[in-house]
Amino acid sequence: MTDAASIVLPNMAARRVAGTVRAIVRTLLFVLIIVWSAFPILYVVLSSFKQQKEIFKYPPDIIFTPTFEHYMALATKWTGFFPTMANSLIVAVGATLLACAASILSGFVYSRYANRFLAGSVLYLIAIRLLPPIVVTLPLFPVVDALKLSDTHIVLIVLYATFWVSLCTMIMKTFIDKIPRTLDEAAVVDGATTMQTLFRVIMPLALQGVAACAIFVFVFSWNEYLFALIFTTQHAKTAPLIISEVMDAVSGTNWGVLFAGVTVQLLPVTLLVMLAQRFLIAGLTAGSVKG
Amino acid sequence: MRRLNPAAILMLVPTHLLLLVVIALPSIYVFWLSLNESTYGSDLTFVGLDNYVTVLTSSYFWRAALNTLIVVNAVVYIELLIAIGMAALFLGGVRYPKIMFAIVLMPYAISEVVGVLVWKIMLNSGSGVLARTIESLGFGMFNWSVSPPLALSVVTLISIWHHLPFTFLLIYAGMLAIPKSLYEAARIDGATPWQEFWRITLPLTIPAILISLIFRFVFAFRLFSEVWLLTAGGPARLTEVLAVYLYQSGFKYGEFGTASATGWLMVIGSLGVASIYLWAMHRRMLKGND
Repeated sequence: MTDAASIVLPNMAARRVAGTVRAIVRTLLFVLIIVWSAFPILYVVLSSFKQQKEIFKYPPDIIFTPTFEHYMALATKWTGFFPTMANSLIVAVGATLLACAASILSGFVYSRYANRFLAGSVLYLIAIRLLPPIVVTLPLFPVVDALKLSDTHIVLIVLYATFWVSLCTMIMKTFIDKIPRTLDEAAVVDGATTMQTLFRVIMPLALQGVAACAIFVFVFSWNEYLFALIFTTQHAKTAPLIISEVMDAVSGTNWGVLFAGVTVQLLPVTLLVMLAQRFLIAGLTAGSVKG
Repeated sequence: MRRLNPAAILMLVPTHLLLLVVIALPSIYVFWLSLNESTYGSDLTFVGLDNYVTVLTSSYFWRAALNTLIVVNAVVYIELLIAIGMAALFLGGVRYPKIMFAIVLMPYAISEVVGVLVWKIMLNSGSGVLARTIESLGFGMFNWSVSPPLALSVVTLISIWHHLPFTFLLIYAGMLAIPKSLYEAARIDGATPWQEFWRITLPLTIPAILISLIFRFVFAFRLFSEVWLLTAGGPARLTEVLAVYLYQSGFKYGEFGTASATGWLMVIGSLGVASIYLWAMHRRMLKGND
């Protein structure tokens, strides 16, 4: 406080009041942000532990005796639910592995090699992921059917991986760009092959990028709806799809069970996102801001 | 920089094969489909631009296009304003930053299906916790299921809720990159926080704002699940957006030709926005390579 204004006493008091007001407003805004972000999710999670008759009570109870009956019913009454969770897991893990493997390889090439084709195809990589995904479902639908791949995990794995492989390539390129070239040159002098250089020298230093890509693809695949709606009917049906079906058919006493299922679906990936925020933020800035 | 050799080309194969087979070739084939008449189990018949005529003279298409235009613009700009406000708030200092970021990121982790489900239940007229609060404040029945403008507002709300974490992070990262020395200099000159925001923070965040704007425009354009799950385009196809219109004509009515024509019109619309982005990125890349 060295400026002229604060030397005058009444002004200083006014400033102090203004400062307090600002602090209160700021705190209120943070509370608002917390409510906006967390309330809808907490509402479902809390409701899943409420007695059926308490779920739609208004105003809702914040403190109540939790019941686990809906979770019991989830296993016994809603038998279709857990198989779709298994499908979601298979598809999400598969897509994550495929997208990461492909983009580690291509990200390395884009970072370390120079060529006119490469420079041009960077634009292609960015442009292609701007296409609305629903457009490709029309020609793919009969092809997938003819190949007998309809309603299989493979279709979803390939689709999900493809829609992320270009962004993940750019993320990996950005992370590998930061690793000094002298390291791989030294490895080559020591007689390492390209693959050895990539996996022994580069990869350990680019793990943060791999983590970022993995989280993006996993969260997307775990939650995706449109492709699952079009390409799966029964065997490969994922959890979001069955939730959407039940949501329209649910009545009377089944809301609690639906909420329990939704909680089981959202909790693992919400915790993953909350705990892995560092990788997410790093990946986001690498993939979009830097290009 | 090494010259491209066969080993390196081999390493590019998985990525480019996936993109070629799943996105590039199908999008080209969609164009061919859009020039033909086709439905389940029938051969293609070349009809020229007939499908485009059908689509462009359909009142449902124009309704969907108008809805898309309104919702996408509302989503993108409201989301951007909230994100800028939030980022400025966070920039001014935040207690327990890790916990706060974790909470802000929560909607990002939620499936569109679950997002729609939760908001639908909370806003269900007569029983939902938010709807009853709105109704008890004397605004009348919050009956969005029979009112297309209200239904599209709910779609906008859910979409903003879902994507705000993404936009917020982009803008916040942009603001964090502003050199601290600028603020110190401004403070010595006696600038108020308000002046700091308008004279330093906002102008220097413009690049990040532009990038997130174009990003969000392109992605918001795809809007499907929120509408499909909330209203399925109803009542009377009044709340359809372009992706829902495409889905209806392709997968409900089996008219692949008109659906493909819609698809290509969407691609053209998307590329219109994207070309601005690509142009900016290309300039940035050229600068980076010098």
